[in-house]
Amino acid sequence: MDSPIVIDRPRRGVNRRLQTMITCIVLLMVAAGILLSGEWIPSDAVTPDFSRKGLSPSLEYPFGTDWLGRDMLLRTLKGLALSLKVGTIASMVSAVLATLIGAAAATGSKWLDAAINWLIDLVMGIPHLVLLILISFACGRGLTGLVIGIAVTHWTSLARLVRAEVLQIRSQPYIMVSRRLGHSTGWILLRHILPHILPQFVVGLVLMFPHAILHEASLSFLGYGLPPDEPAIGIILSESMRYLTGGMWWLAFFPGLALVLLVLLFDRLGENLRMLLDPASAHE
Amino acid sequence: MKNRISKIIHILPVLFLLTVLAVSAVAAQDNGAKTEVIVAVGSEPSNGFDPTVGWGHGNTPLIQSTLVEYTQDMRIVNDLATDYEIGADGLTWTFTLRDDAFFTDGEPVKASDVVFTFQTAKDSQSSLDLTWLATCEATGDHEITFTLNAPTSTFINTIASVGIVPEHGYDGDYANHPIGSGPWKFVQWNKGEQVILEANEDYYGAVPTIKKAVIVFMDEDAAFAAAQAGLVDVALTSATQATREIPGMHLEVISTQDNRGFTLPVTPAEGKVTESGYPVGNDVTSHLAIRQALAYVIDREQIALDAVNGFAEPAFSENDGMPWNNPEVQIETDLELSRQILADDGWMDSDGDGILEKDGIKAEFTCLYPSGDSVRQALALAAAAQVKAIGIRINVEGTSWDDISKRMFSNAVLMGWGSSNPYSSYLLYHSNNALRDDYYNPEGFADPAVDGYLDAALHALSVDEANEQWQLAQWDGTNGTAMKGSAPWVWLVNLSHLYYVRDGLDIGDQQLHAHGASWTLLQNLRDWKWN
Repeated sequence: MDSPIVIDRPRRGVNRRLQTMITCIVLLMVAAGILLSGEWIPSDAVTPDFSRKGLSPSLEYPFGTDWLGRDMLLRTLKGLALSLKVGTIASMVSAVLATLIGAAAATGSKWLDAAINWLIDLVMGIPHLVLLILISFACGRGLTGLVIGIAVTHWTSLARLVRAEVLQIRSQPYIMVSRRLGHSTGWILLRHILPHILPQFVVGLVLMFPHAILHEASLSFLGYGLPPDEPAIGIILSESMRYLTGGMWWLAFFPGLALVLLVLLFDRLGENLRMLLDPASAHE
Repeated sequence: MKNRISKIIHILPVLFLLTVLAVSAVAAQDNGAKTEVIVAVGSEPSNGFDPTVGWGHGNTPLIQSTLVEYTQDMRIVNDLATDYEIGADGLTWTFTLRDDAFFTDGEPVKASDVVFTFQTAKDSQSSLDLTWLATCEATGDHEITFTLNAPTSTFINTIASVGIVPEHGYDGDYANHPIGSGPWKFVQWNKGEQVILEANEDYYGAVPTIKKAVIVFMDEDAAFAAAQAGLVDVALTSATQATREIPGMHLEVISTQDNRGFTLPVTPAEGKVTESGYPVGNDVTSHLAIRQALAYVIDREQIALDAVNGFAEPAFSENDGMPWNNPEVQIETDLELSRQILADDGWMDSDGDGILEKDGIKAEFTCLYPSGDSVRQALALAAAAQVKAIGIRINVEGTSWDDISKRMFSNAVLMGWGSSNPYSSYLLYHSNNALRDDYYNPEGFADPAVDGYLDAALHALSVDEANEQWQLAQWDGTNGTAMKGSAPWVWLVNLSHLYYVRDGLDIGDQQLHAHGASWTLLQNLRDWKWN
C-alpha cells in the first residue's frame, strides 16, 4: 500500500492536505450514499416481475433485469449496502479486537506476549477462507456467522502493528517519567499510549474494509455466507453463473464492477487517511 | 459450495476428456455409417451399477435385464420371464424364466440367480422396498416362486425395477464391473468422467443397432459447450439454456411426470412435534379454503411460461398421465371461484393492506425451497406473485435441505416427485406414513377414507382393480387427495426434460419420464438409431 512520497508544489489556494481531506470527504459521502440508498429502496422494488425478465441493459434498467425480472441496478445497490454494513461491523469489531490484543501483548507479562504471538501465528497460518468457512458454518451461517468469522480472522496484522507501536512508545522517556511519578500501567496505557495508537487504529480499520467486503462476497458466493434471498453481491454473482452461458452477461458484469469500485474506493480512502495522519506526510 | 469447488477441480479432466472425445469422434466418422453415440447427462450413479443396492430403480438397468418391464405407455410386459401367475390369495407369485437368456460371460440365467438377486437386495436394505417379500425360492431350473406377507399389487412394479445379477459373478466389486443379461454390455467406467457400453450381440431380444454408447458426466454448461463443438450427440440442458440454438442439433422436449408443487401442512399449529421433535402444523395452510383457493387461482400455463420459458406442462396430481391416475383431478383456473371459497370461509381484508384475515390471522405463510435449485425458486416466486391477486401472501425462502427437513412440517415446501410405481401415492398420502422424516407426507395428511382406498389398492389382486382404487383415493366423487378434495398438495407443473439431440439421431418413443432427467432418457437406448 506504500506509495512513494512525491513532493510537488502546492497549487494556489488548495494545498495538498486540503486536497486529501476533500477526497476523503467525497469518498465518505459516496459510501454513505450507497448505504442510505440501499436502506431506502423498498424490498418491493426487487420482487420478481416476470413481464420484464431477462432484459439487457437499457435506459430504463441501466444494469438490466435478471431471469425473474428483478431490476439489477436496485439489487446491486442493495447488495453494496449490505456489503458495507457487513464490512463496517466486521472490521470495527476486528480492529477493536486487534488493538486490545496488541496492547495487551505489549504491556502484559512475558508469557502473555508469547501466548498472543503464538495465537497470531496460528491464525495467520490457516488460510483465511478455510477458517472463515469453518467459523461461519459453525455459527449457523447468516449475518452473525459472517461477522464473527471476518472479525476473528482479520485482526492479526493490525494486532502485530499495534504491539510493535506500543512497545516502541513504552520505551520513550516520558513514559519512564510518568511511571516514576507513580502512575499505574493502566493509567499510562489509557492516557499516554492509546492516543498515540489512534492513527494506526483508524487507518488499519479503513484498510481492513476492502478485505472484509471481499471475504463476505466470496463466502456468500461459495454458499457459506448470507442466505440466498438476500441481495448480497456474492449471492448475485453466484446466481449469475447459471445464466452466463445463456448470454446474460450483465448479471455478473455490473455487480462485479460495482464491488471492485467499492473496494477501490475504500482503498483510496485508507491511503488518504494514512497521508493525513502519518507524521511523515501530515504536513504536506 | 462443494459443487462449485469440485467443478473448478474437474476442469482439467473435462478438458482432457473433450480432447479424447474429439479424437474418437473423428475416428468414428471415418468408418462410414455411424453406430456410436455419445450422450452427455448430468449425474453419475454414485453407488455404481449394482441393482441390489439401487441401480436402475425407477429406470431400466440397461446392463441387467428384469423379469418384467414397462412399455412406452407404462403397461407391464414380460422380459426375462415368459409368464407369471399370481395365486388366488395374492400371496404366491410364480415366474417362469426364458431359457435363451445368457449373461455376457456366457453363463445361462437360472432361477437361482433370480433368487440370489432378490435375497441380496432384501438383505442390503437399500432404497428398494422389499418389506412385503417373505420368501423367494427356485421351484425349478426356470421357475421362481415369491411368497408375500400380504397381497401387494405394486410388487409387479418392484419386480420391473430389479435387474437380475449373476450369482457366480457377484462379488464385493460388482458395482464397478457389472455383468448382466441386458441389451448392453459394460465396458468401462472412469469415475467422474464416463461410462462406456457396447451392444450385447448375444442378447435374447432385438440387438441394439447402436453398437457403442459413451455416457459422459458433465454439468449443463459443459454439455452445452461440448454440443456446440460437435463432441457429443445428446446433451442434457435446462430451461434457461434451451432457448438457444445449436447448428446441427435439435431440441427434444420430453413430457414427464417430474412434478413440482406446494406441500401444505393440513393441521393447525397446536404445539405438537414429530417423532424427531420438529414442530407440526400451520395456522394458515390448515384451512381447507386457503389450500383450495390456492389450487384454483394458480394459472399453471402462465407459471410454466414465467418460470421455465414454457418448458413445462400443468400438473394436477403426483402421477399425471399414468394408468393409475384419475382424470377427474384436473381443474380449471378460476379466480372468481377462489375468491368465493375464501369469502365463504370468512376471510376478508379488514385492514386494507391487501392481505386477507380471519380471526386475527393473516393469510400469509412461508414457502421453503432448496436454495441451489433455481427452477424451484422461480416456480415458487411465480406462484407467489399470482396468489397475491386473491390476498394471500407467500414468503418464499431458500434454505438447505437440512433446514427444510426440520421446518417442512410447519411450512409450505416447494417439493417434487414423479415415479413409475403407484406405491409412491401410498407413501404420499397414507396416514401411517404421515409426518415422517422421509419427505413424503410432511403435510400431516391423514384421512380414513383415503387410507381405505390406498390399502385396497395396495392389496388388490389385479392391476386393474388396483388402478381403480388408486383413482378413488384421488377423487371418489366427494373427497380425496386431489386439489378439489382435501388438497394437501397444490400442484404446479410437470417439468419437461430437455435435450439437444444431433440431427439424424432417432431417440425412439420416450415413455413419460419420472423424477430426474439423466438416466430416464436412456431407458429405451436399445431403440435408438441413426437415420
